[in-house]
Amino acid sequence: MLFNTLQFALFFLIVFLLYLLLPHKWQNRMLLVASCIFYGIWDWRFLTLIFASITTDYLCSLKIHEANDERIKKRYLIVSIAVNLSILGFFKYCNFFLDNLQQLLNHFGIMIHGPFLRIALPIGISFYTLKTMSYTLDVYRNEMKPTKSFWDYALYVAFFPQLIAGPIARAKDLLPQILAPRKFNLESFYEGCYLIFWGVFQKVFIADNLARIVNPFFASQPPYNGSTVLLVSYAFAFQIYCDFAGYSNIAIGLGKCMGFETMANFNLPYFSTNPADFWRRWHISLSTWLRDYLYTPLVVSKRYWKKWGVAFALMVTFILCGLWHGAAWTFVVWGAYQGAILVIFMGIQPLLPKISPPKNMLLETIWFLGKVLFFFHIICFGLLIFRAQSMIQVFSMIQGLVSNVKFNQAGTSGIFSGIISFVWILILVELLQFKTKDSMAVLKLHPAIRAIFYCVCLFLLLVYGATEGSVFIYFQF
Amino acid sequence: MISERLKKTILMELQLKDFNFKDETHAYLVPGWDSLTHINVILAIEKEYGVRFTTTELLRLKNIGDLQVLINTKCPEDS
Repeated sequence: MLFNTLQFALFFLIVFLLYLLLPHKWQNRMLLVASCIFYGIWDWRFLTLIFASITTDYLCSLKIHEANDERIKKRYLIVSIAVNLSILGFFKYCNFFLDNLQQLLNHFGIMIHGPFLRIALPIGISFYTLKTMSYTLDVYRNEMKPTKSFWDYALYVAFFPQLIAGPIARAKDLLPQILAPRKFNLESFYEGCYLIFWGVFQKVFIADNLARIVNPFFASQPPYNGSTVLLVSYAFAFQIYCDFAGYSNIAIGLGKCMGFETMANFNLPYFSTNPADFWRRWHISLSTWLRDYLYTPLVVSKRYWKKWGVAFALMVTFILCGLWHGAAWTFVVWGAYQGAILVIFMGIQPLLPKISPPKNMLLETIWFLGKVLFFFHIICFGLLIFRAQSMIQVFSMIQGLVSNVKFNQAGTSGIFSGIISFVWILILVELLQFKTKDSMAVLKLHPAIRAIFYCVCLFLLLVYGATEGSVFIYFQF
Repeated sequence: MISERLKKTILMELQLKDFNFKDETHAYLVPGWDSLTHINVILAIEKEYGVRFTTTELLRLKNIGDLQVLINTKCPEDS
């Protein structure tokens, strides 16, 4: 069931009405049943995997909390991690591993032919696995006490707004909100409705329309014109951002309507001026998960290697981040690229304060915009790798960028005007958010301006919005 | 209560003039203390006090107050 369909709108309306009628305990049980229906509509058999993870982490966390012996605590932590990673590894990476093994053996003259067992990828597995693992890790680190209520814990993992593609909410943030009665708050409800509306607009008007520029290009064959590669990389940068931020806004908005507060998942990522800044603004729930549970343990254990330890931890973290996105070499290379630019940034960071920005306000703004634009291109190049069908396609596109740039070619201006016509409203909203440092700035505009904003968005959505109800990009991860 | 010695060590490493450290202050709220500079601060503290922390001890720290408690257990003269 997709957020951007009438079927989901009807589903949420029924859930919301029931939610308003029921007392706290039954609200939680109803939300768990609704979450199972929401997931089960795709494939009810994979609900067993979610409950396998839930049961493992529920029991392991209780055992970790009860144990006084550090070795026993560690044993249960290892059981939890092993079970979760085995499920994720088997369902997400088995095909990738077998295909690569076959190619490697063929390379050495050992001919193995399929068919291998093709394993279907359970939707949302990468997201709920990280969610449930963070709970056990937090209990192990004494950051929180485990809950005794199995059903409330199950709701934390399976909560339908976040089940398929995050945000990867932490148990210490979401679980207390599940356990305690929630009060209906009109302001929160209004903010939630705005986020749902804006999320649907980002997805249906911006992302799905940009997909019509991006998808045919990546399905085409080389040679590529460099200027088209450049423009399509911009289009994809906005497409993936609006697709995923749109999903996150809807998920956070749905939660808000029911009284749940969830961490922001995006904070104006294309206003970043360096890679560290970017990862504090992009897919925040994943980047903080990786920081807390992968990067920090690695860097702390390798701290005597000093800068090499940081570089090692960054590379391992980001290569695994790439692999988390999908079982393909393009994702691994994208992860390594992100790790490498962070390592380079770490190397040049001490020199940056010595470059003093201009004192004049206009020049300072130009200086800032220059940094934003420069870094945006670095991100776009990474996104080409992320979106490409193969590394061969990436090399063909680089070749086009280096030796085949024709700006006056037919189609280039069409792509440019297409991008502008879909993203102008996003740019205006984000400039407002950036200027006011407030993600809800639109809600604080003069009522007349707000009314115009809603009318324009609604008009664009109804007249030019993609109607096919396409799948969110991050569902495949 | 954060000791002057710990405060001075952190401020020196992060090249800060001053910061109001409280027990509940989270590392990432201190200017310049981020995931890239985290180990430099830890190494500076280990050097200052002549101690070595285990990985698990460091991962269980929630705030500066916890770090002070850990230092006090390893180095009672600072408490």
